Amino acid sequence: MTPVTEKKDLSLLAKGHGLPLACFAVVAFATPFLLSGNRYFAFVAGVTMIHILWASGMNLLYGYTGLMPLMFAGLAGISAYTVVGLTASGWSFWLALPVGALAASISGIILGLPSLRLKGFYFTLCSLVIQTVVTLGFIYFSGLTNGDTGISQIPLPSMGGGQPLSGLAYDLVLSAAAVIGVIVLIVIVKSTLGRRLIAIREDDELAGMLGINVTGYKMIAFFIGSLFAGVGGALYAPYIGFISPRSFDVLISMNIWLMVAFGGRGTIWGPVIGAILLAPLSFLLQEYYTVKDILYGLLIIAVIVLMPAGIAGGFLRKKKESAPPLDVPATPRGAK
Amino acid sequence: MNDILLDVKAVSKRFGGVAALKGIDLVQHRGETLGMIGPNGSGKTTFVNVISGHTKPNSGTVSFDGRSVSGTNPFQIAKAGLTRTYQAVRVFGELTVRENVATALVDARDAASQEAVAEIADWLRITHRFDKPAGSLTLMEQRQVELLMRLVQKPKLMMLDEPVGGLSSAEVRTMIGVLSELKGRCTIFVIEHTMKVIRELADKVVVLMAGEKLAEGPPAQILADQRVIDKYLGTADA
Ligand SMILES: Nc1ncnc2c1ncn2[C@@H]1O[C@H](COP(=O)(O)OP(=O)(O)OP(=O)(O)O)[C@@H](O)[C@H]1O
Ligand SMILES: [Mg+2]
Repeated sequence: MTPVTEKKDLSLLAKGHGLPLACFAVVAFATPFLLSGNRYFAFVAGVTMIHILWASGMNLLYGYTGLMPLMFAGLAGISAYTVVGLTASGWSFWLALPVGALAASISGIILGLPSLRLKGFYFTLCSLVIQTVVTLGFIYFSGLTNGDTGISQIPLPSMGGGQPLSGLAYDLVLSAAAVIGVIVLIVIVKSTLGRRLIAIREDDELAGMLGINVTGYKMIAFFIGSLFAGVGGALYAPYIGFISPRSFDVLISMNIWLMVAFGGRGTIWGPVIGAILLAPLSFLLQEYYTVKDILYGLLIIAVIVLMPAGIAGGFLRKKKESAPPLDVPATPRGAK
Repeated sequence: MNDILLDVKAVSKRFGGVAALKGIDLVQHRGETLGMIGPNGSGKTTFVNVISGHTKPNSGTVSFDGRSVSGTNPFQIAKAGLTRTYQAVRVFGELTVRENVATALVDARDAASQEAVAEIADWLRITHRFDKPAGSLTLMEQRQVELLMRLVQKPKLMMLDEPVGGLSSAEVRTMIGVLSELKGRCTIFVIEHTMKVIRELADKVVVLMAGEKLAEGPPAQILADQRVIDKYLGTADA
C-alpha cells in the first residue's frame, strides 16, 4: 500500500506535473522571443500571461476551495490603482508591487468574509454586489483614480540602471509571473493546505467535523488567491499603460471565471489552457463588441450546460475510469 | 468506573416552535457504551449535533474529557477527541478512499502512523477499495470508510448516528461485530432503532421521547420497561 500521509519532500510535490510544467515554462519563455518581430502579437501574449496568473488564482478559489468570487477583477484593480498611485508619488514600481498585491490580499480577506456564512450560489451573488461596489468605488474616488476617465500614460517600471522595462524584457517578466504562479498553485494543491481546501470544497461541514478549521482555511485561500489577482493587477497597469474602472469590472471577473470553468476547474492545466484560448480571443475581438458579448454568453451557457467540468475535467474523468489500480495488493491482508 | 468522559447538563434546543430538546442531562463514562433510542423526531440527532458543535443549544452546558466545549466550533471539538458519524452516510464522494483518509489525517491532533492506518483499514476490510472514489462504494463500505476516517484520528469518543440504518440483515450482523470490536479502540455513543444493536452493544440506554429523557438504565431493564414498550417499542418506529 502506498502511503496515505503527505510527503514533505518538495520534489514529490510536483509529481505528475513535472513534464507539463517544463513544457509550459519553455513555451512561456520562448514566446516573447518568437514573437519579438511583431509587437502586437507579443503584446497579446503578454496579456495572456497575466490572465494565466489570474486564472490560476481564481482556480485556487473556485476550483480547489469551491468559492466563486466574482469580485476577483476588483481585487486586481485595487492593486493596480495602489501601484499606479504609489509610483506616481515617486515609489519604485518594484516596491509598489508587493504593497499593491498585499492591499489586494487584505481586501480579498475582508471582501471574502461573507463566504463564511453564505454557501455556494449565495456567496457568488454577494460577490457580484461587492464587485459592483468596488467598481463604483473606483469611479467615486476620482481624486485617486481619475474616475471614469481612467489613468493613462502609466510609466513603465524601470530596470536596474534607470532604463525602462519595455518590450521583450517586460514580456519575459510576465512569462516569469505566469510560470511562478502555476508553480505556486501546484505546490499548494499537492500540500496539506491543498488537501484541506479540497475537503472544504467537497463538504465543509464534514471537513470541520474532521478537525479542519474551515473559517481559517477559507481566509487563507482568499489571501493567496487575491495575491494572484494583485500581482497580476500590478503588472497589468504599466504594461497596458492605461487603467479605468472598466479594466477591472464584473465582465473581467466573469471572463477570468470563464477561463477556469471552460478550461477545467480544480485541475492545474485546464485554467491555463482556458486562459491561453480565451485571453487572446477577447483581445482580438475587442473591436466587435456585440460579437464578443454574444460569443461569451454562448460560451458561459455551453460550459454550464454541456461541460461543467471543463475541457480538462472531461479528459481527466475518462482517464480515471479506465486506469487500473496500481498499488493495491491482489489479496488484501485483511480479507478472510 | 468514575471517569466521566461526557457530561451534558440541561441542554435545550428549539427550532422555531418545535422544542427538539428539553433540558437533557446525561453522563457517559470512559469505556461505557451508551445507547440512545427513541421515536422519529424525538431529538436524538439534534442531541448529537449539539454535542459535536454543529448546532448551538439555546441553553445548557457540555463538557468533554474534563473541559467545557459549550460554544466551541466543531473543529475544536474534533481536536479534543470527539467525533461523530451522520445518519445519512457522509464521505467525500468524489475523492478516493485513500484521499478521504489522507484528509482525515491532515488535521488530526494525534494522527495514526502509516502502519496504524494500514492495520485499521485491514481490520475494517476496506483496503482493497482504497483507490476507488468513496461515492462509488456500497453503503456498507461507505460506513466502513466513515469509521476508518475517524479511527485514524484516535478519537476518545465516537458518536454513531444509526450506524446500521439501511444495511441488509447480513450487513447488520457484520456491523455489530465491527462495533463490538470498536469498543476496544474508543468509547462509543450509539443511536439506533435496531434493538439488536442496542441489546448486544450498550452498557446503558437512554430513551428520548419528544425531546425529554423518558428512561435511563441497563438495556435489559429499559427494553422491558412498560412505559418504553408502550410509547416506543410497541410502535412502528422501533
Ligand atoms: N435544522 C432543523 N430545523 C428545524 N427543525 C429541526 C431541525 N433539525 C431537527 N428539527 C426538528 O427537531 C425535532 C427532532 O429532530 P431529530 O432529527 O433530532 O430527531 P431524531 O430523534 O434524530 O429522529 P430520527 O429517528 O427520525 O432520526 C424534529 O421535530 C425535527 O423536525
Ligand atoms: Mg436522527
